[in-house]
Order: sequence, then structure tokens, then C-alpha cells
Amino acid sequence: MTPLPVPQLGNEITEAEITEWHKADGATVEEGEPIVTITTTKMAIELEAPAAGTLQIRVEEGEIAEVGTVLAEIA
Amino acid sequence: MPKELVVDPASSRTPGHLSQATIPVHAYATPIADEIARRGAPALIEALRHMLLIREFEGMLAAMKAQGAYRGIAYTYKGPAHLSIGQEAAAVGSALALDTGDHIFGSHRSHGEFLAKGLAAVARLPQADLDRILATHDEGRLRDTVARALGRDGRALAEDVLLFGFLAEIFMKANGFNGGMGGSMHAFFPPFGCYPNNAIVGASAGIAAGAALRRRLAGDGGITVAHAGDGATGCGPVWEAMNFAAMGQYGRLWQDGGGTGLPVLFFFTNNFYAMGGQTAGETMGWDRLSRIGAGLSPTALHAETVDGTNPLAVADAVARKRALLLNGDGPALLDVECYRLCGHSTTDANAYRTRDEIKLWEELDPIRQFATTLEIAGVLTEAEAVAMREEVADRIEAITRAVTDPALAPPVDVAAEPTRIGRLMFSHRAIDLPAEPAPDVGDPTGSAALRGIARKARHGLAGDGTELAPLRAITLRDALGEAILHHMIHDDRLVAWGEECREWGGAFGVYRGFADILPHHRLFNSPISEAAIVAAAVGHAMEGGRSLVELMYADFIGRAGDEIFNQMAKWQAMSAGALSLPVVLRASVGSKYGAQHSQDWTGLITHIPGLKVVYPATPYDAKGLMAAALASQDPVVVFESQRLYDKVETMAPDGVPAGYYRLPFGVPDIKRAGRDLTILTIGPALYPALAAARDLAAAGIEAEVIDARSLVPFDYRPVLDSVARTGRFLAVTEASERGSFAQTIAATIARHGFASLTAPPRVIGAPNWIVPGADMEATYFPQPDDIVDAVMADFFPDRPANRRGLRDWDDIALARTGL
Ligand SMILES: Cc1ncc(C[n+]2csc(CCOP(=O)(O)OP(=O)(O)O)c2C)c(N)n1
Ligand SMILES: [Mg+2]
Repeated sequence: MTPLPVPQLGNEITEAEITEWHKADGATVEEGEPIVTITTTKMAIELEAPAAGTLQIRVEEGEIAEVGTVLAEIA
Repeated sequence: MPKELVVDPASSRTPGHLSQATIPVHAYATPIADEIARRGAPALIEALRHMLLIREFEGMLAAMKAQGAYRGIAYTYKGPAHLSIGQEAAAVGSALALDTGDHIFGSHRSHGEFLAKGLAAVARLPQADLDRILATHDEGRLRDTVARALGRDGRALAEDVLLFGFLAEIFMKANGFNGGMGGSMHAFFPPFGCYPNNAIVGASAGIAAGAALRRRLAGDGGITVAHAGDGATGCGPVWEAMNFAAMGQYGRLWQDGGGTGLPVLFFFTNNFYAMGGQTAGETMGWDRLSRIGAGLSPTALHAETVDGTNPLAVADAVARKRALLLNGDGPALLDVECYRLCGHSTTDANAYRTRDEIKLWEELDPIRQFATTLEIAGVLTEAEAVAMREEVADRIEAITRAVTDPALAPPVDVAAEPTRIGRLMFSHRAIDLPAEPAPDVGDPTGSAALRGIARKARHGLAGDGTELAPLRAITLRDALGEAILHHMIHDDRLVAWGEECREWGGAFGVYRGFADILPHHRLFNSPISEAAIVAAAVGHAMEGGRSLVELMYADFIGRAGDEIFNQMAKWQAMSAGALSLPVVLRASVGSKYGAQHSQDWTGLITHIPGLKVVYPATPYDAKGLMAAALASQDPVVVFESQRLYDKVETMAPDGVPAGYYRLPFGVPDIKRAGRDLTILTIGPALYPALAAARDLAAAGIEAEVIDARSLVPFDYRPVLDSVARTGRFLAVTEASERGSFAQTIAATIARHGFASLTAPPRVIGAPNWIVPGADMEATYFPQPDDIVDAVMADFFPDRPANRRGLRDWDDIALARTGL
């Protein structure tokens, strides 16, 4: 299991919105593939899959998650 | 960088060399017999007559300036006369190739171009169209005056109206084409395709590029010509404009079917001199003007150097460039070489050139050359040529006699209505929006970013009164975006551009998600060309488009100074209200990046007559004022504070309405009621003022806090009413105090609220030095403590108070040292 947390995106940022999942729950993903767009008050950013495997989404589109929250795991 | 265009190192790093498109020089060699066969002898004779009319018209102006009389008609003309004697073939040749539906934008030396284009229209338009144009302009009054004075009808009447209306405009008479508000260097008459001339060297380049953008999108099938002199190639904004017209995205990213560039011809009338500076050899690096095309695009802008002393060489080149432009292969550049036989102006002593040089070019006098050519070709006899000259001189004499008669061309009677010119600055009109979305826009629910905004709370306070985080409630940034998106969706005349406006979402994210649903031709990344960004906005609006442009930082206003101050601000009035300029300029006021990225320049912009100015501080106000700005027919500058983009709505009782609404310009808003003191704030100063008001309340002083919201226009009534209740007035601004709009307000309150005041009005702004870096900003922008200090010291000196802020300096002493 490789977790994908909300990264630290600057010293004033504490949380981010999960704007769009580009892969469905259960999909097979490649390492380095962009899988989700998150948005902070300052910017929108795409996060890449940290490993290859099956995507297990933990936080749904539209929710707001704090820095460090695990958005998904790759099994 | 759009993802569609991958920057592939393999291709960019392949060794090789660049070759450039060939630039023809004086390549025209068509025999006159062919020209006669193609165009017909009457058209060539008519072209000669037009050159003669221009020569005589300008000769008349020269005589008026030098002797105060022409053919016995005495008149004192005090305005400018930048004449084009010797350059007539360039103007007439171009007009020969253009259609009436092609539009020309001119320079300070464009009498010839205006007349040539107008005369060509009069010669070619169907009589019914001419009749309609004369009947519509000023409700037919000019036509009636001219018919009465000169007694002709049909095409001859149209020609008289053209000459009369133009000369009356040069003399700044009330019935000049532009109501006497333009004059020699700004005259225009759109029905004949004559768009504004411009007294700022090179300014028409960017305006014409924007006009061409609108014409491309409107699909109206005409080309646009930007006239400039050779000296204008030294102007940065001209380069910006040429690049703006040649951007790669038109061909590679746009899908509007409009081709690879904008349909604009940069027509340089190259007379080898600016005023006294010689371009090739002295002030410029190029040896031939046309060479600059190679620096702008792989096609070298299809540049050519042509013989500007021969109208047919010019017509030939313009016709070929026109065909390219109509085919979507624009822009194009022509270097039209000719010589100004007269001085730059009537005070020019010709100190910068020799008599011998002038003589060499007198040999090439385009009128003499062309008349001789026609005589040799057997098209015109010498006697006919002489008769034509006489007829032309008589015509100009008759026109001059009429225009110098105050009964026929009365002066602008400002004394009868002292605010008459002021009335022309703004129309105060607003458009209705079509109810249906424009066809070229995608569905907003298809954009994840826009869905994210739609999920947010409309009010910024939670049930327990705590402020929601900006990710959870609509922010000022979102509110601006909602108003803009509504207009973008419902009005396809509205086009938005600026640096990093698409994928980046605008420099500070106001357009986030827009690129998902708007095609490139509605929202595009511009080059880092602030001058071209604003100039194009002006031209786009002049041609019936609506422009929304963003300057990443208000500090970059300086880069677009002429375009904002002289073009965007002035054309409505200089056209006597005939032109509308629906341009919204968004300028973001920075923070934390120091002196060149953080300055509030509201004082500078409000000082310029002709711009509406708003500076909203809350999301509710931002959405309503942005909607009003986009609906406005007048140009509007919207200041946005970077420190406020993340503000949620905490004051409007119902938060930020999800639906569309407009707020009126000019109405200050009471954000906190109080009886003891009125604090008027501009932009972000609202928040420290509210914090100070809370502190003052703890000391038993109730401040009324009024947010200016708009600066131009501005209704003083609510502020004066407040001062009548409180007797004390403080204005707070983040602009440097000296010359700030807060000082203007304070001075006005002092005068009109004097009877209610118990103390002189006070202004707290930023000091008159640079904005310092992030950690020092609090020493610069007024803080709550600074406000409390000023209130206690100036208005309640009897109460005990310890100074809390930094500002215990002596304003008078500082002023003595330039601060
Ligand atoms: C921005 C700007 N700078 C300077 C001037 C003053 N000025 C008026 S005409 C002129 C020379 C322009 O030379 P060129 O572009 O070659 O046009 P020409 O006068 O030869 O037709 C100058 C410097 C101006 N009007 N605008
Ligand atoms: Mg010149």
C-alpha cells in the first residue's frame, strides 16, 4: 500500500479541495501518472500516482482535506 | 504553456541555421499600359485628382499657418499642421487598393490618408449609400449646411461634405466630423472607413491590431490598416502590436477559422526622418525598414519595401497584402518610401537636411511624376492637367471660404454650456445581456474547478459567527469570476486576454476553470506586452467588441501608460461621443513583493479624466461592481487587492447572491454605523478601519466606516450626510498620501462639509516613499493602530491615549525634504 497524502504546498496553506479525480476508484494506474487535481487558495495542482497498482480513493471529489490527509492508496 | 504544444528538446536542439523569408525591395515594374488596361484611364485620372486635392488642401493649411491667409481668405489657425506634401502617392495608392469596408487608423500626419480614403469612398460607393451616410451623420445637418453653402449635389456634394467636415474638424468647429473635439491629428469618419488618427507616434499600431481582432471574430471581411511613420519603428508599443497581430496561437490553437494571424497591414510611410532624426543610419539599427519583418515572424510579415512616390506601385503592393490578409495569412508590413518635401511642421527650419537632398527628391515629386506618366501614356493632355489643377484649387478655395465663415462652421460654444466638453467624457449607458448563452461556450458543470466554486457557501460566516476558510466560502476572487463568467457566457462580443489568463487562470486565479469552457478566441494568453494588451482592447472596442483585459500587477500600468491615459481614457470625448469604449481593465494591487509590485496607483488613474474607477473590498461589492463594469459602455479600471482575493463575505446580510446582479457606480457604502466620526476607506483600507473602529468603540468612540467602492464617479452626498452627523472626517487609503484620491475627497469634504466639521479633515495613506518588502509592509500601509492614533490626536486630543503606531512624524518637515 502506497499512500498519497495532500502535500505541503507552502507555509500559508493548510488545506486543499479535491477538485477532480482523473482515475476512477479501482482503476489501474502507472507510477508518475497524474491522477487527481487539488486546489488550494493559491493554485490548482495535479498529483501523480506515487506507485503503480490499483487506485483506492479515500477522499471524494468536492471534499476539502487538510495537509497530510491520505487522499488515496495504491495497492 | 498550452499542453497541446509540446516543447520537444529533440527538435529544438537540432543543429542547423535559420534562413529568412526574402524581402522584395522596389520590385514593382508593371508597364503603365497594363495598369491602364487593368484599372481604366478614368480611375488613374481620378487618382491624380485626389493627389492634387490633398496637395492643395495641405498647401492651404501651410499658407494659413505661415501667412494667416490663403487665396485672400484670412484666418488664424492655431492648431497643428503636420503636412504630407510629397507623400500623396502613398496615401492615394493605398486607397486605390482598399475597399470602403477596409478601415484605416492614422498618425499625426494623416490628412492625406484620411482624404484619400474618403475620396475613394465618395468615388466608389453607390449613390444610395452615400445619400444614407450624409443623411445619418449629425442627422443630415452637415449635408444641409454644405449643400446650402456650396450648391452641389450627388457625388459632388459628398465630396464637399468630406472636405468641409474634415477642415471644420481641423479648425475644431462644432460641425467638424468629430464635433471639434478631435482636430488635425485625431479626425476620423467611420462610414468611409477612416478610423481615428492619433497624435501619439505609433499608437495606431496596437489599436489597429485590436480592431483587426474584432473584425476577424465578427467575420466582416475587411482588413485594417495601421498607418505609422518610419520613426514609429523605434516605439516599443509598435513592436508589441506587430507581435500581438502575429502570435502563433491564431494558427496553432484558435479554431475560429480566421487563419494564422490578424488581418492588419502595418503601413509605414517611410520618409526617412522622424522630426529631425534620420531613421536609417542615425536613430535606428535597421538599414531598410522592411527588414524588421524578419524579426517578427517566419513570414517576415510578408514585408516589402515599395516605391511610395508612385501610387500604382503602392496600390499594387497593398492589393497583394490585402489578398493575403483576407486569406487569413496576416499580418503584413509595408515599407513605403517617400519624402516629406515640406517641414515636419510649419516651424521646421530644415536644419537636419540639405537643400541638395530636398532637390533630389523634388525630382521625384509624386504628383509631377504621375501627371507626366499619364500624359506620356496619352491618357491626359497637358491642358487637361492644368485645368484639373485649377478646378482643384477653386474647390479648396470654396471649401476654405465656407469653413472660415462662422455662420456656416460655428466655433464650439463652450461659454454657452461650460460643462459641454465634460458631458462627452462618459455616456453612462449600460447594455442588456442576451438571455441565451453564446454558442461558443461549454457547459460550466463540465469544469471541475467551476463545480468546486459552485459547491462553496455563499456567506462567509458559519452559524456560530466564525469566519469560513476561503476554500469553503465564496471569496472576492470567486465573486469577480462569477460576474465575469456570466458575461463571457452570455455575450460573445466580450473577449478576455492578458498574461497567463488561460490555464493559469489569470495571474491570481480569477479565471480559474474558464479555459475548460471558453475557446481560445474568447480567452487567450497575451504576450508580455502591456501596451499592446490595452491598445488592442481599445481598438477591439472601437469596432464593436467588448474588451476585458488584465494587468497582472497595477505597477505595470506604467508599461501601458499611453494606452490607458491617452487612448482608453480619451477617445469617447475626442469623438464627441460617437465612439463607445466598453473596455474593462483589471489591475491587481500587489503585496509582499516590494516596491515594484505593491503600489496602489488609484491616485494616478483617478487623476486621468475619462476613466471610471472602482476598488471593491468585499465579495458582494466585487461581484456587483464587476458586472456593472462589464455592462458599461464607458471604460472602467477595476482595482483588485491581492490581499483581499481570499476574503469571504462577512458584511452583506445574505452573503454573495448566486445569481447575476449589478451595483451602481459611484455609491459609497456604510459598512459600520457610528455617531462620533466618519472614516472613509478606499479598497483594502476598509479592514484596518473596521478593526480600529472596534478598538475605538472600546474607548467609547463610535466610528462610522464608509467604503468608497467606486472612486470615479463618486457621490459625495452619503459622506457629507455622515459628516453632518459626526462632525469629524478621516479618509484612509493605501496609496501614497501626496496627490491621492483620499486627499481629493478630504479637500471636497472640507469645502462642502465645513459647517459641520469640528476639526480639519485628515487623511492617512501610505507615506511618500517606496513600498518596502513583506516583513516591513505593516510599517507602510495604514494599520489599525495608526488609525486609532490619528483619531485620538486629531479629533479627541483631550482624551488620554498612548501612541500605538509608528507614525509620529512631522508631515510638514517631511514635505520639505521631498517626502
Ligand atoms: C510618443 C510620441 N513621442 C514623440 C512625439 C513627438 N513627435 C511627433 S511627430 C514625431 C516624429 C515622428 O516620426 P515618424 O514616425 O517618422 O513620422 P513622420 O513625422 O515622419 O510622418 C515626433 C517625435 C509624439 N507625438 N509621440
Ligand atoms: Mg518619418
